[in-house]
This record gives sequence, C-alpha cells and structure tokens, in this order.
Amino acid sequence: MTTWTTRRQLLKGAGVLAAAAAAAPILAACQQTPTTPKGGSGKVVVMTDPNEFNDNDRKTLEDATKLKIEIVASDLTRLYAMYAAGNPPDVFRVQAAGVPQYISRKMIKNLQPYFANSKLLKPDDLAPSNNFYKWDGKVVGKGDLYGMVKDWSPDYTLFAYTKAFDDAGVKVPSDSTPLTYDELRALANKVNRKTAGKRVYWGFVHSNNDQWIDRTAMNMLAEKGQTLYAADFSKLNISGNPEALKVIRFLYDLAADGVQQTPTDPSPNWMGADFNNGQVAMLQYGYWFSAMAESDLTKGKTVFLPAPTWSGVRRDPTMTATGWVVSAQTKDPDAAWAVFEQYMGGKPALDRAQSGWGVPGLKSLYKEMPQQSAFQKQVQKVLQGELSNADFVLQFNPYLSEQAFSTSWVKNLEPALKGSITFDKFVQNVETEVNAAIVDGKRIVGN
Amino acid sequence: MTGAARVLDRPVARIAPWRRRGLRRAVTFYLLISPWLIGFVLLAAIPLVMAFLMSLSNYDGLNLEYVQFVGLENYVRAFTDPDAQHALGRTLLLMAVVVPLSLTLQLALALMVNQPIRFTSLFRTIFYLPYVIPVVAAAWVWKIFVDPTGGLLNALLGVAGAQVNVRWLVEYPTVVLALLTIWGAAGGGMVVFLAGLQGIPAEYREAAMIDGANRLQVTRHITLPLLSPVIFFNLVTGIIATLQILVQPMLLAPGILGLSPGTVPPRDNYLYAVHAYLEIFVKQLFGYGSALLWLLFAVVLGLTLVLFKTSRRWVFYGIEP
Repeated sequence: MTTWTTRRQLLKGAGVLAAAAAAAPILAACQQTPTTPKGGSGKVVVMTDPNEFNDNDRKTLEDATKLKIEIVASDLTRLYAMYAAGNPPDVFRVQAAGVPQYISRKMIKNLQPYFANSKLLKPDDLAPSNNFYKWDGKVVGKGDLYGMVKDWSPDYTLFAYTKAFDDAGVKVPSDSTPLTYDELRALANKVNRKTAGKRVYWGFVHSNNDQWIDRTAMNMLAEKGQTLYAADFSKLNISGNPEALKVIRFLYDLAADGVQQTPTDPSPNWMGADFNNGQVAMLQYGYWFSAMAESDLTKGKTVFLPAPTWSGVRRDPTMTATGWVVSAQTKDPDAAWAVFEQYMGGKPALDRAQSGWGVPGLKSLYKEMPQQSAFQKQVQKVLQGELSNADFVLQFNPYLSEQAFSTSWVKNLEPALKGSITFDKFVQNVETEVNAAIVDGKRIVGN
Repeated sequence: MTGAARVLDRPVARIAPWRRRGLRRAVTFYLLISPWLIGFVLLAAIPLVMAFLMSLSNYDGLNLEYVQFVGLENYVRAFTDPDAQHALGRTLLLMAVVVPLSLTLQLALALMVNQPIRFTSLFRTIFYLPYVIPVVAAAWVWKIFVDPTGGLLNALLGVAGAQVNVRWLVEYPTVVLALLTIWGAAGGGMVVFLAGLQGIPAEYREAAMIDGANRLQVTRHITLPLLSPVIFFNLVTGIIATLQILVQPMLLAPGILGLSPGTVPPRDNYLYAVHAYLEIFVKQLFGYGSALLWLLFAVVLGLTLVLFKTSRRWVFYGIEP
C-alpha cells in the first residue's frame, strides 16, 4: 500500500500551497505583535529614533532613574502593531501632527499632574513649542499637557547657498528682513539652474518636500487668521475659501515652476544632502539643520535667513514639535514619567541643547546653544529674532493621520503637473480624498 | 531480548509489517513538516482569520475601544474605490508584462548555463547574484542607475548618440519597475529551470538528434514539453509574486522614505498592494485595507485555479516514475 508522491502531485501541491500562502504575508502584516515585556517590572520600553538616543543616553537615564530601558526603533507601522496587540511602548516619539489624534483616541496619557509636581520641568520654563502637546478636544494649544518636545526649531527659516546666488548674479537676501513668499518664488526662479537638462541648482526646496505641505499652507493661512480646516475640523475647505485657494495655488505654481523637487522632478537624495552637495540655493528648514548645513562644499557659503511671510505677518512656529508622549496603556506610568522627565530635563536635555541640533524644550537651556563659529553666531542672531515669532501652534486635524493630506497632495500633484488633470480637478481630488478620510476618522471616534 | 519478546507478545505487535511501516512513515512525514506547519498555523492561518474578521470592522489599528462590526461594507467600498480599480489595473498590466518576460529570460539563462561550456559555474553565480541582493539595496542601485543627472543609464545611452536626459522614474516608472522586478527574479527562476533541465534524461535528446532533429527542434519538441511542469510552477509563483509587489514601487518612488506611510509612488506604479498599504497605514483603515487584501487573495486564487484548469492541456508529465 505504499503510495508515492508523483511529480505532478508535488507540483500541484506546491502550487496550491503557494497560492494559499500568497496573501498570508501582507494580510498577516496587519497582525504582527511585537512583544514588549513591561509593567511594574522596573523596565520602560521607549520607542524612539536610535539616531537621537544613543547608548550613552540610555545609560544616563538608567543611572538617574534606576530603571531598565529597552529601546525600540521608531516605526509608525510597528507602533500601530504594538497598539493593536494591546502592548504599546511606555514612552514613544511623536510629531505634533499626530498629537490631537492620539489624544482623541485616548492613546496617550495626560501628563499635566506630573508636570505640576515636577522639579525639572516647570511650566514657566517650557518653550512655546510645547503647546503643541495641549489639546482640549477643540483646539490645539489649549488644555492639559500630554507630552513635550525633545527639542524644536522655528521651522520656516531658510538656508541659502551663496554660491548659487553669485552664479546667477543675484544678491543674497538680507538676514534681517524676511522675504515675502512672492519674493521667494521670484528669487527661486532666478537662481534655479539646469545645464543641458541636468540639475545644477534647485531654486527652492521646502521642508521635507511635500511631506509637510499642509503645515506650510496652514502657517501661511494663519497669517490672515484663516485655517485650512473648518473650525470643528469636520471638513477641508480650499475651494470654498478664497484665501486658502490662493495659498494652494501659490504652492502649486511653485511646484509647476520647476524650481523645487516634485514628483515629476525628484531628487534621488534627501534634500539636506542635496544642500550639502551644493545643489540647493534655498532650503526651508529649521535651526536644527544648522548643525549640518556646512559641508566641505558649503562651508563659508551658507547663510541662515528668517522665515518668509505670506502677508507681512511674522509667524515662525515649529511644524514638527518632535517629542515624547506616554502611552495611556502603560502599566507603570510613574516609571514611564521618570524616564520622560529625565530625558526632557536632565543631562540628556543639556547635551542636546549644547549639540546645536535644535532649540531646547526648556527656555532655561536656550543659552546652551553653540555660538562659537561665525556661522553659528550668524545663525543665533537670526534665531533670536525668530524665537520672538514662534509662540504659535498649527491646528492639526484630530481626525486625520499625519500623512493623509500630503499623501493625497503628492498623489494628485503628479498627474496635475503632467497635465493629465487641471488645477481645479487637483484641488477637488485633494478635498474629496481628505474629506473622506475625515469622515472615516470622525466615525472611528464616534463623532 | 526479554523486553523485545514482551513487546512481541502484545496484540498490537500483530499489526502487519507494512502497516507499521506506513505509520512510521506518516509520523516521520508529519514530524518533518511540523516546523513549517506550526509556523503556517501561527503566523499565517490564524492571522488570516483575524484579518478576515478585521475586514468586517472599522478597526483603525490603534484603539479597540472604537471597533464596530460593519458587515460587508468594506468589500462594497472596494468596488467603488477608483484608486483600487486604478491600482488593480496597473498591477494586472505589470503582471502581463513581467511574468512572460521573466519566464523567457529565466529559461534562456537556464538553457545557457546548462551548456557544457567553460566557466559555467561562474556564469551561474553571476546570474543568480541579483536574486540574493536585498531589495532595498537593489532598488537604491537602480534609482541611482536611472537618475537623469548622474545616472549610468543616460550616460551609456549618451555614448551612442547625443546628450540623453531621460527622466526614467518620471517618464517611464513602470518600465524601471518591470526591469527591476525581472532582473531581481531572474536568478531564482533560472535555478528552478536548471534543475528541471537536468532532470530530463539525455537519451531523449540524443534519440531525437539521431533521428535528424536539430537543436531548435529538440528544444521545441523535447525539452520544452518535458519542462512544462517547471514552467507551470514558475508561472504560478511568478503571477502570485507580481500581484503582491509592494516594496519595489515604494522604494523607487521620489524621496528617501522607502517603505513608509509618507511615500507615494508615481501614478503608473500605484499598484494594488501599495494602495492597500496606504489605506492601512496612512488612512488607518485597517478594516478596509484587510478587505482589499482579501479581495486580492480571491483574485490570486481565481487566477491560480484557471491556470490549473488549463494546465491539463499544456503541461506534460511524461517522465514520471
């Protein structure tokens, strides 16, 4: 009765198994559940960027708190998976755009009582950017504190590569008088350069290309007291708001000018690397980039400029407010807070301030920022001016994920720039897609 | 010896020897496949069921407190989602281009390295190499290779003629994606074809040649029919792999984020798995994304069944033992 498996059966079997397993990996990806043992065990799981949190930081915090710290690399998909498994990290790194959403969904802990009793993190000493971690259910910047920036920058400032201006025979803008966005666009077109179809200089590259385009639009609109979303965040309103339409048209035209990196004219590199390679005339990044703006090529040829204005009103808040929050599901909130507090107000905070990779989250540490080299001094001069215009927040939509707007923008910008769809259709598509996402988000939280 | 005698005295010992052998073979079989089976149940079967349940809900991946049963709503939504339809169309187009070209290249390479020529092993290694290069590295290399400003491809084309400034990833993103996919899969398929070729008895070819057949006729009438089960296997797995492509278009997209929610591939490379990924991780529609993936599974299964049906007409199992 011995039965042999024939080659036909083997191949058929393999085919069936392959088909059965076909959808498994991607479907199963939704179910991945990393394990993070924690809870009253003297161990705190921190999800953060390993580039910002080295082994020395971990040891310093472990010594200060007598807790063991486990680091998990920041990864949004992994964070979702850990939440889905009911086992999120105790402390995790976020950007401001996600905060209202996390609070609305009861994912992060209200830290107001901890701040009220902290010896290291005093309310009067908190930099204005920490207001991004306040949400009262209606407005960003009001209510209790749910987190804190690790450091921050007024993010709408510009770095100019003077050689690009010299090559174009154009004067480098003043570092004491801000440009208007219209002047910026005109300048970008003048210094933008291609030779024989190959890129020499990008005229202007804005923060993270289109990834943060909604933040740029929100800040421009705020100069006129306008918002991108309806007051109750129930709707993205561009076509029904002439001021919003003007801002979006401007940003679209800037992309169509061919002076910046777009889906139809991308760079294979990160824009910061492009600046270091002497390929970007004006780059819109915050103070933090000054720590690396001077490469061998750009050293002595880089100038820090104030943020441009849309209608003459100075506003230069952070657009990221990158920081930490504590999970509402942490089993040991006191331990999580101890690590949080030391990282934000202890030696690691001092080290970060002195490194020059961002404005400290505590005003008392501002004086620690480096100002030795001529460039650092010039940066500080401009920065001090910007800090007085940084006490603003952006009204991020609590029903949208961080990338919902920019994903729709990029997806539709490509066919628009290629001429497949008109500008009006572009706006309509973005509105339709983002509003659909808002409806989904509202439904999830039961509004 | 005494122990053995006692065992022999038991009634169970009267089981026929062939049945004992069969039992032993079955136990051995299940023991041998158990690592895979356990892994499949825990890491695929159970998550598949969970994902199906998720597809019937509004789960956002963040908070179970707000989960609601929505029935088939997510499946209905998929049929009216223009992005899903666009993405499915692009995916099927890519499959229609990539699978035949891949199979042809893999078979051609296998036929080449099956020849008794010098440095065969070296050629086999070179052809196999792209298959073992991590996809992230491969995509990065291709991105630089086709870059309009500093890329090698335009430079090579420029040698032949005038200045070439083709923006490959903008003007022909699907061509680059198809080439990357074909290039990356060539080595793996080649090895399977090579194994198939080496399983064909040489006598068949020799007999045909004695009868006057030339090389082409031998390949057409002897090699290919006997190789058809392997072609069939590579065809099925190739279709499945192509329908699931997610990472490559994300890595080839503008920017440096790669496989992360902030990345949006060009419209031409907006494939079905990409759409599902973005729905899940950008819009946080885990329920809808799961429904999209279950529909993909249905498409994969349907195509596989059609292939199995048609295989009776063209797959030849002529040399079974």
